Amino acid sequence: MGVILEVKNLTKKFSGLTAVNDFSFEVRRGEFTGLIGPNGAGKTTLFNLISGHEKPSSGTIRFDGRDITGMKPHQIVNLGIARTFQLVRSFRFMTLLDNIAVSCLSPRGKKVAKEYGIDEYASSILAAVGLVDKARIPPIILPHGDLRKLQIGKALGTNPQLLLLDEPFSGLSHEEQKGITDLIIKLHDDGVTVFMTGHVLRELMHLVPRVVAMHQGKYITEGPPQEVANNKIVLEAYLGKGSEQLA
Amino acid sequence: MRIIIKKIAEFPSNFQSYFRDWISTFRAKVTVICLIGLSLVPLLTQNPYFLGIFTTFMIFTIFAASWDFLAGFVGQVSFGQAVFLGVSGYVTAYLIRYLSFPWWLSLVIGSIIAVIFGLIIGIPALRLKGPYLALGTLAMSLIMYQVFLMGSLATMWENAFGTNLFGAEGVSQITPISSDTVVEYFATFLIMSVSLLILTHITKSNVGTIFKAIRDDETGTSASGINTTKYKILAFMISGLFAGVAGGLFAMRFRGVNPGVFQPLYSFYAIIIAAMGGLATISGSAIGALIFVFLGEILRDTQDLSLLIFSIILILFIRFAEHGLLKPTLERIQELWDIVLGR
Repeated sequence: MGVILEVKNLTKKFSGLTAVNDFSFEVRRGEFTGLIGPNGAGKTTLFNLISGHEKPSSGTIRFDGRDITGMKPHQIVNLGIARTFQLVRSFRFMTLLDNIAVSCLSPRGKKVAKEYGIDEYASSILAAVGLVDKARIPPIILPHGDLRKLQIGKALGTNPQLLLLDEPFSGLSHEEQKGITDLIIKLHDDGVTVFMTGHVLRELMHLVPRVVAMHQGKYITEGPPQEVANNKIVLEAYLGKGSEQLA
Repeated sequence: MRIIIKKIAEFPSNFQSYFRDWISTFRAKVTVICLIGLSLVPLLTQNPYFLGIFTTFMIFTIFAASWDFLAGFVGQVSFGQAVFLGVSGYVTAYLIRYLSFPWWLSLVIGSIIAVIFGLIIGIPALRLKGPYLALGTLAMSLIMYQVFLMGSLATMWENAFGTNLFGAEGVSQITPISSDTVVEYFATFLIMSVSLLILTHITKSNVGTIFKAIRDDETGTSASGINTTKYKILAFMISGLFAGVAGGLFAMRFRGVNPGVFQPLYSFYAIIIAAMGGLATISGSAIGALIFVFLGEILRDTQDLSLLIFSIILILFIRFAEHGLLKPTLERIQELWDIVLGR
């Protein structure tokens, strides 16, 4: 149970605005961790930095003991970190099967996929996320909940060790949330380390045993969700100053 | 690249079943009928003028298909396709004229040089997206045009090698593939069929899946662990190869090349043809080129007007038939076919 992801003094500045400010935390192998913070706290920027979509101004990111700071997104994916996006991304004019197949064709995905055949492996992932009956249709006609599932399927195609889920519940109905929750729990039981964000505390509270709290780009605290939710600064961040009495 | 090799290696073992599956589809039947039809043309007429038009049509088909591959399947809209056409045309013409290479070897070398230019254009193109890529490639073709037009370079080259390369005259008096237009026709026909077959096969392979992913969402593709840079360069090289093949054939068909082939006009031709046939279809280019070349022949006497007319046609296509002619036509034929068979 070693440390799989180690972020140290990570800072990202966008011309004057510091989106992530001297942020440090760790995720251990096999852990199920949440990242909370109000809108604009810098959660997505932090994800972008870890997944290589943006380069940090300073600080280091280590994955599995290896320095991955400043690597390209595809290199990081092939080391074993897959991510989903807050705004769903899909290959709009390709079938769901081909959407997944792209991930299976990445060097890391192919190592596993070629044993079974790309299409067979991609279908098994579609089955795992519950979309196998829609394998031959393009994502443009899918409902939002299915697109969220597709996101996770695309990430799974690369055979990740660490899964970064950026707001996997946003814009979903209660039933759809349930489906995604079950899926994430299943993945975690299969041995994938999961690190996910959410700006609504309630969703994450029941799901993860540990959360890291973030506000205005800064690390605030971490611990069991119940404990973090009662933290003074976290409450202030969500509800404004002088809100302890309200809570 | 390893993926292509694997696919080809698999090919012969199940070729029969692959072919049987393919021929049972409606599209395949239409393709075969069209190919047979084209191969029968020399039986109907051996008039060099008519066969020449058909040869030109097939050359433009390859050229437009190479653009359609890049724009329709990889999403890289280039306005500099003429660079490949011109470079390969010049190399092929020069080798035939001054070094007496056989036509096929010159064509191969010309196309390889075009692939290298694909690499040269591909690398800066990685930093350019959307309209900037179009502008960058457009500038590239204008630069080539001006360089090959330069009088001072022409004199320098002539003094150094005693041959004509640069200058307005270009390289002229090239021997064609064969003095027999029927042989020329069939050589072009074969090269076109193979080119379209390879391009179509690439789009259906695993590499093709990655290309389409890059077209739909580049960031998403890199998040799927794909090195988009590598595949975009590969796409430019493949496109350059086939545009280069077209360029070599073009030089031989018109017995020479001049700096005019680098003009954006030729890139524009490829776009008109591909748009008429339908984007992301590859073989749609054949329909587009057929209309384009024959209409061009009809409008030959009013050449100033022809570009105006083609531009209007392009606008009409973009407005009223954005999917081009191929898919709707195939659907109509299929409906008709079903009626004839009484289904």
